[in-house]
Amino acid sequence: MALTCAHCGAQNPDGNLYCQSCGSPLAAPPAAAAPPSPPPGPPGFVGPPPGVAPPVAGPTGYQAPTGYQSPYYAPAAPVAPVHRTPWMLILAAVVALTILMAGCGTALAILGSRSTANNTGPGVGTELPSPTPGVTPTPIASPTSAPLGATTESNDGVSVKVPAQWSVANKDVESITLSDPNSEGTVTVASGPSSPPQSAQNNKNTVDTELKTRYPDARNCPNTTTTTTSFNGATGISWTMCFTLTQGGHSLPAAASLFAGANSTGSVYYAVLVLTRQDNLPAFLVKAKPVLQSVQWKLT
Amino acid sequence: MRCDHCANDAPDGVFCTRCGAHQGKTAEVGNARTRRHSYAAHPGEHVVQPSVFTTLFPHLGERKVHEFRWAFAVGVAGILILYIAGLITAAILVATFLVPVLYLIYLYEAQVYRDEPATVLGFTIGGGAVLGLVFTLVERVAYDPLPSVGNPLRGAAIDVGTLLFLGLLVPVVQEALKPLPALFMPNRADFPETVDGLVFGIAAGLGFSVAESLVTFSGAITGLPAHLTPGNWIFDLATIAVFQPLLQATTTGMIVATVWRFRRGRLARREVGGVATAVLAHVAFAIGTLLMKDALLNPLFILVWQAVVVGGVLIYVRYVLHHALLEEAAHMGFAETVCPNCHMNIVASGFCPNCGMALTAAPASVKRARKPRAAKA
Repeated sequence: MALTCAHCGAQNPDGNLYCQSCGSPLAAPPAAAAPPSPPPGPPGFVGPPPGVAPPVAGPTGYQAPTGYQSPYYAPAAPVAPVHRTPWMLILAAVVALTILMAGCGTALAILGSRSTANNTGPGVGTELPSPTPGVTPTPIASPTSAPLGATTESNDGVSVKVPAQWSVANKDVESITLSDPNSEGTVTVASGPSSPPQSAQNNKNTVDTELKTRYPDARNCPNTTTTTTSFNGATGISWTMCFTLTQGGHSLPAAASLFAGANSTGSVYYAVLVLTRQDNLPAFLVKAKPVLQSVQWKLT
Repeated sequence: MRCDHCANDAPDGVFCTRCGAHQGKTAEVGNARTRRHSYAAHPGEHVVQPSVFTTLFPHLGERKVHEFRWAFAVGVAGILILYIAGLITAAILVATFLVPVLYLIYLYEAQVYRDEPATVLGFTIGGGAVLGLVFTLVERVAYDPLPSVGNPLRGAAIDVGTLLFLGLLVPVVQEALKPLPALFMPNRADFPETVDGLVFGIAAGLGFSVAESLVTFSGAITGLPAHLTPGNWIFDLATIAVFQPLLQATTTGMIVATVWRFRRGRLARREVGGVATAVLAHVAFAIGTLLMKDALLNPLFILVWQAVVVGGVLIYVRYVLHHALLEEAAHMGFAETVCPNCHMNIVASGFCPNCGMALTAAPASVKRARKPRAAKA
């Protein structure tokens, strides 16, 4: 005869001393005693009519009073378990997944870091140069600088020459973003009024905050320095940030060589951003050098 | 007893085993027939309750659901530990696989695929993964993220073209593609219940989600150092581990469940609204995330937005499934069986007379073990 747990209502095989569901002690109902009540129903449940036995697991062949059909039965043989997977196995699978993926992830990261280190040579960080107009870039065998084209893009704050095959990715009244033909990177130059006035350091702090809010791991690139410098006549600060750019199916380990400056009163800001993959920054800076040299600030 | 609502003779119980209606006075808890206070797959819950596990894992009984909840919590704790330790690459991988692995265990537990695991798993999780891989690679070719970083001193950088591409086109195309593996499963006729369609759709969506996350984060997985300062990665990890897979799973499950309903000739406004809800929710999820990131809002707000969208879709999925179960369980014959929810040995047709669970949502092993029995007159 199956034993119904008075605590949780689960049915247990005959002979069980404790409920296999909740662990409560089980006691076989005395033969003469009234059968236990069924598990409580939700509010509003109307039980069986007066004088009719409530639903309870009884022995096979149990004859219910006329008019009452018990919804329960007592299995003649032990019923196969409803569930197949022990809870320990489920937990073990998740723990194993965590350990396995942690190992794989760490191995991939170590291999990836070695590969990146080999590709970048002396280091990923190369500060934004301070190109002086008219000065020929230092000859480097490869990569080569982009030859300047005939077109010049201009807005209220800045003008810049567009090399052959480069394209304008974005442009508004304060900023122009140029993209190289192989989609290796972009150069953004921007200038406009600052209200209230901001120093170069304030502008740098704003850029840092934005990058750290926008990207999960924005930080100064290793082996790089922050320097006070001038960029085509504008004084400011040059530094390099590394971060992971995650959007549209990409998670690109990116590096940005940055310049943030201001005029003497702080009423005008100047900004330059050279953005590419972390392992490509030195090469891309060489490629973008003519663009950077052609920048002319309109606001002083 | 005679059911208060369908007038059929049925064994005495809290619920009619033929139509699932709640017997007796239920005015204080809701309509007895539609019983929104008692979700058909897990009668202890209200239909309008954004519960992840009882929605996406409808075949699990009360106790088993808790075991899966605990397993998920252990996985999340693992991700948190890896994050705190600065092992971001490892944390990304665990986050990517956590929910899909739990779902695989669930499919094994419930034996939804019955005797054809290779075909079902291949066409749902496998097919979804292949589609996710191809689609995300195409998306990568079509979209270059570098120009999206504009003037660093003026914040907002996203342009209308990017917003339309990533916020509208990509979600709509994804919603059109993700259900295809489940819809073209060769043995789909063997699984006529809506709850089967829902589970297959969820599996296809999770397969898609795994491939999407792996392709998207392949750059970070191979490019990040083994150890780095954790920074704000916890927000991205929460999206990868929880909200992205849940969104992909629920929207695909909803669409496939609708097609299953259509095949049974039961397409109603509720189901059509489900498809619209799935597409709109995905668009809202994507556009909201893009705009809030662009506006430099605290990432916590982005997670809240994602949770709200996913919670809304979950509730709609429960609404559709609840009504499908109430309709479809009514055709079952009387049999001796064990209720997977309350574990009582019952003589029942479509619903457990004790707790009201729709027995079409029982695991395959329980359905197989049913011993047919004629109903008493």
